[in-house]
This record gives sequence, structure tokens and C-alpha cells, in this order.
Amino acid sequence: MSLIVEGLSIHGPEGCIVRDVGFTARPGEPMVLLGETGSGKSLVAQAVMGVLPAGLRAEGRILLDGQDLLALSARERRGLWGRRIAMLPQEPWSALDPTMRAFGQVEEVHRLVRGRPAAEAAGAARADLARLGLATAARRYPFELSGGMNQRVALAATHAAGAPVLIADEPTKGLDAAMRDTAAALLLGEAREGRILLVITHDVVLAGYLGGEAVVMLEGQAVESGPLRQLLAAPRHEYTRRLVAADPARWASWPARPVPGGRALVEGRGLHKRLGGRELFGGLTLEVAAGEVLAVSGPSGCGKTTLGNMLLGLARPDAGEVRRRPDLGPLSFQKLYQDPMAAFPPTGTLGQALTELLRRHAIPRAPAEALMRRLRLTEVLLGRRADQVSGGQLQRFGLLRALLLKPALLFADEATSRLDPVTQQEVMDLLREVVAEQGTALLVVTHEEALAAKVAGRVVHLAPQVVGLSPDGVPEAALAL
Amino acid sequence: MTALVFPALAFPAPRRALGLALLLAVGVFALLGPLHGLDPLRQDLSATLLPPGSAGHPLGTDHLGRDLLARLAHAARLSLGSALATALVAAVAGTLLGLLAALRGGLAERGLLALADAVQAVPALLLVLLFAAFAPGGFLALYLGLSLTLWVEFFRLARSAALSVLARPQVEAARLLGFGTGHILRRHLWPEVAPVVLTLFAFAAGTAVTSISALAFIGVALRPPTPEWGGMMTELLPFYAEAPLALLMPAGLIFLTVLGLHLLAGKEQAA
Repeated sequence: MSLIVEGLSIHGPEGCIVRDVGFTARPGEPMVLLGETGSGKSLVAQAVMGVLPAGLRAEGRILLDGQDLLALSARERRGLWGRRIAMLPQEPWSALDPTMRAFGQVEEVHRLVRGRPAAEAAGAARADLARLGLATAARRYPFELSGGMNQRVALAATHAAGAPVLIADEPTKGLDAAMRDTAAALLLGEAREGRILLVITHDVVLAGYLGGEAVVMLEGQAVESGPLRQLLAAPRHEYTRRLVAADPARWASWPARPVPGGRALVEGRGLHKRLGGRELFGGLTLEVAAGEVLAVSGPSGCGKTTLGNMLLGLARPDAGEVRRRPDLGPLSFQKLYQDPMAAFPPTGTLGQALTELLRRHAIPRAPAEALMRRLRLTEVLLGRRADQVSGGQLQRFGLLRALLLKPALLFADEATSRLDPVTQQEVMDLLREVVAEQGTALLVVTHEEALAAKVAGRVVHLAPQVVGLSPDGVPEAALAL
Repeated sequence: MTALVFPALAFPAPRRALGLALLLAVGVFALLGPLHGLDPLRQDLSATLLPPGSAGHPLGTDHLGRDLLARLAHAARLSLGSALATALVAAVAGTLLGLLAALRGGLAERGLLALADAVQAVPALLLVLLFAAFAPGGFLALYLGLSLTLWVEFFRLARSAALSVLARPQVEAARLLGFGTGHILRRHLWPEVAPVVLTLFAFAAGTAVTSISALAFIGVALRPPTPEWGGMMTELLPFYAEAPLALLMPAGLIFLTVLGLHLLAGKEQAA
């Protein structure tokens, strides 16, 4: 059994998007397509699955056990779904049926896709869930489960269909480090059972964990391929080198900045916060000095963002107090958002947003343009809307907006977690340079311990009071296969 | 597949174009009809219930010999004009109050929500009847009563649309950057609220057309001999066996107007 992609090209209305990509995926050995957003890696997966967006056309050959999938009709290809080829949905918690318990989501696959009698399907579903440590979650709805548990439910449902080919598109998107390892272990387990596993990701750490073979894609072309371990250890192509170097664990540490001393910009004393009946932190005391880089890290849901928001006065602690230095106005505290798109109004151009800001605070145009050049933002971008520029450009625009107000403290709330690794590194490097030039203190909130360790002078680790307990009381991480 | 991903594509522009065309046709009829020159009130008992196509009366006459074309056209002006006026008053008031409630919160919001609940607890036509009873025969009472029932939906919709925008990081970012409420209204709230309000406006105007006709049909507010579609149906109902077309004409115009308004509004609804 094998999945062979030969000379695959994908054409859109404006020409060729993916050009001449080829690889061979074998059972038991993960095949990883590595590349950034827009590199065409997801299109390759969609072409294999047969779900290319309307208007796109695939050429070449996709051979599954010698049968050319591209020669089949749409109906014949749909017949393969679940039975021969299965796709693990991106962000499974939004792909699961919200009105159906975990048990039902798996059981119906056994019954409807594999055509087993009800009693047998129920038994098989129970066994599938138990195998993934979800026995006690069977009667729960997706909204009652954590992100990691939902992902396991989705995997159990995909697994139940018994397809020999499993495609996972960005399986670790939106997962923190601990959950990423769990997801990777699950996928590796599927491969070791003798499935063909095709993983699409920009995550070098995940790729390294999976091992196997890899194809590195850039702008629709395969630039490098080979065994992953070799590829990561000795990348040949320039882009692969940058991609590998962009892993925060390989960054150079940010130079320590002289902290002038004096009164702290903001101090929080004895902060308590409860959210949804859960204590995020009790009695936390923390201060940010002028000009320092402080990182707050911890798993998702531990209250890092809430802590930052409290220091900025955007959220209120249940008990305790936050004191900002009295000589600093509200404009001295600025924020960079996790999703830059959500931080800009969807209508109107970026130029309009900039002009409004300059007019509001009577800032002359010249220094703003100088800062724009410093952040490598071109004039052309001013004519575009927020959804017409890349994530990295928009985040740099957010940085421009904040820095124009000469803040004393900038709160970067997972500011680069949605960016591609190479872009993340570029934005973080720029961030380091400009905040150092302006003497702005930086509060970095991140779920990536490696990133926190590299950038900050001090790191505050927030551990949730209860570490992501599954209903049977076993910590999530312990459930890794 | 495409229709699932892009529902708007399944109901393309032709739908709205058709709605617009229907409304334009009714509008042209309302404006040009009176140019025909006949007085909608002039009776001619020697020429009652003439069929369409009669000399001098292209659409025929009613039971009192009044020209149907003139009456329908004048009624169209009345219906369209008053429907648009009531919907406009309701839309402006409801939207402003909705935005106010979303922005201010607290007591103002709770008070307005309670008021909206109270208004919706009373059947809409009953409320209009109450108003009409205080000022019999007056147009103003009718309009005011209708607006009073229609504003609630604008209020609820504008408030919920505004609340969802206000919860987004874009608003928090704007406040951090030192922008005031005016800027947030103009740049963040209005672009999101306006399309929803415009859609609802078309539906509300449709509701107003049917409500006014229904009230005239039961003889409230608009009195004979004022030509009004609903009122004309009441007058012509006893003669439907002799002149079925005469009865169908006002009913058809109500249908076409409301259909046009709903088609025009339909795009948002489909998406």
C-alpha cells in the first residue's frame, strides 16, 4: 500500500499555484509537508482528499494503491472518504457536532460508515474511546471537554472509519506545548498501526517529533525533501535553514537591557481572579519596571492574558490592587493582539486608520513615516484594508500604531503565535529593536516556554491551580500514548 | 457545495434587482397614475363596476363609478409614503436607542429592554388600535402607533449587533489608542450595524404596508372616501362576484409591494 503523488500542479484562475510537487507516502512512516501560510501545502492535501476549492484544478497523478485519484469522478472520490482516505479536521472542536455526545460521534461512524450492527458499533466505539483515555468522557458534549480531549474525540471518530490513509492539516494549530506533544503522539500512534499518515504543518517542532519523510514547500514548489531528521539537522535550501532557525528554541537570547530603576511602571499586589468557577490565580504579586522585558508563560487557560489585561486596566481583579505610576496617562499602556485582524476595523484602509490616529493625537506625519520605514511597512500598504495584508504586516502595523503613542509599557499578548515561524522571528526581532530604541518596557505573554526564555529578562510561570484535569482526574499530559 | 460555502452565491443579485424593479414599478405607478387626470373621489353612478379596458377608465370603475386607476395610484402614494415614513421613524429611533443601550449599559439598558418587552407583550395591531382610538381618523395617530410597534425590532437588532462588535479586540484597541465613543460609533459600530438595520428596514416597511392596509380593511384610521388599498378591498368585497378583478387589483398591489421589499431585503437573510 502506498500513496504516490507525481508531478502535482494546481492551477487557479490566475495561473499556477502549486507546481510539480511529488512524494511517496508509505505505511508506518509519517510524511510531513512543511511550509508557511500560502506555500500551497494545504492545497496539496485538499487535492489528495479531492476537496479543492471551486475554481482550482489539479494536474498530475495521485496514486493510491496504483489507482489514479485524479481520474475518478467527484462521486467516486466521495466514496473513498472515511473508508480509504480520512482527514482529521483543523481545530476539531469546531468540526465536532455540538449537539452530540462524544460516544455518539464515534459510534455513528462505526454504524453508518462501516455498516456494523448497532450493538457491535457501540462496543467498538467504547473501545475506541477507552484506547484514547476518553472512557469517562463518552457521555459528554464537545463543549464540556477541553481542546485536547475534543481533538482525541475527533481522532477516535476518524480512526473508527478505518481508512488506511490519514491526512492531518495543521493538527497542532491553536494548541499549547503540552497539548502539541499529545497530539503528535496520537498521530504517531496512527502511523505505527500501519496507516499512511500525511501531516501538513508549519511547526518544525511537531515535524521533528513525527520524524519520517518531509517535503518543504515554498511558494507552491517543493524546495527540499528527504528524511526529516537529516533535513532538520542539515538543511540545504536557504528557506529550510530559515525555517529551522525560526524555532524559538534556536533563537539567540535577547541581550539584557539596562533597567534604569526607580518606581515600577505598574504593580499588582495580591491579585485574585476566578473565571468560570475556577481560580486562575490567588494572591499574585508582580511588577513591571521601566524598560524591562518581562514574560508571562503558561499553558492555555491559565490566565496569562487576563493578568496582562489587569495590569493594563482592561480587566479587574476580584481582589488585590493594580497601581500604575501616577505620572503615566492611559496612552502609556498599549497592547499588541494575538489576532491582528481582530484588532483593526474590517472596513476602511490602514492609511485611514493611521491618519485618524495621527489627527487624534496631533502627531506630525514625518516621524510616523520614519517609524513606518523602520518597521519595513511600505506606502502601498496604506491603501489596503486589514484583510488585504499579511498577518506579519498587520502585526507590524499594530506595532506602529502602538509605538506612535510612545508607550511606557507594551503588552504583547501572544502577538506572534498566529504567525508563521519565519514571520514570527522577523516580527519579534523588529519588536526587540524598536522597543529598545524607544526604551519601552515589554510584557510578553506566550504559551511558548522557549520563546519566553529567549526574550525576557524575567519569566513568570503561571501554572493553573488544576492542570487541565480530565474528568477521571488524570492530567492531560499523562494521557499521551 | 459552492452554495454551502458561499450562501450569497445561491441568491445572487438578480433577486435584489427583481425586488428593486417591483418597487420601482409600484413607485412609478404611484407618481404617474395621478397624471391620468381623473379625480379618485369623483363618482359616476351611471358607470359603476366597469371592466378594465373601458373607455376613459383603463382599469375600470368601482361600485360608485370612481376610476380605479386613479384610486389605486393615489392609494399607492399613501401606502408607500406612510409605510416608508413609519419605518423610517421606527428605524432611526430603534437604532439610536439600541446603540445607546449597548454603549451605556446599566440602568439605561435595562430600562429600555423592559420597555421593549412591554411593547412586544401587547399585540402590535392592538397597540395601533389603542392609539387610533385616542385620535380617531388621524393619520398621525396611525403612524405613531405603527412606529411604536416597529422600533422594538430595530432596537433589539442594533443592540445585539453593537454588543458583539463592542466585545471585539478592535474596540478595546481603539480605546487604548485614545479614541472616543464618537470614533467607535462611526468606524466600528456603524459599518456593522448599518447593513443589518437596512435589511430590517425593508422588512419593517413591508410590515407597515400590510398593517396599514389591514387597519383600513377593518375601517380604522383611514376613512372612506380616502383611497387606500385595504379600504378599497373592504368596499369592493360585496361585489367580488360581479367584478373580481376590481378586488384583485388592490390585493395584487399589496402583494407586489411587500414582495418587492422582501426580495430587496432578502440578501442578508439568505447569507
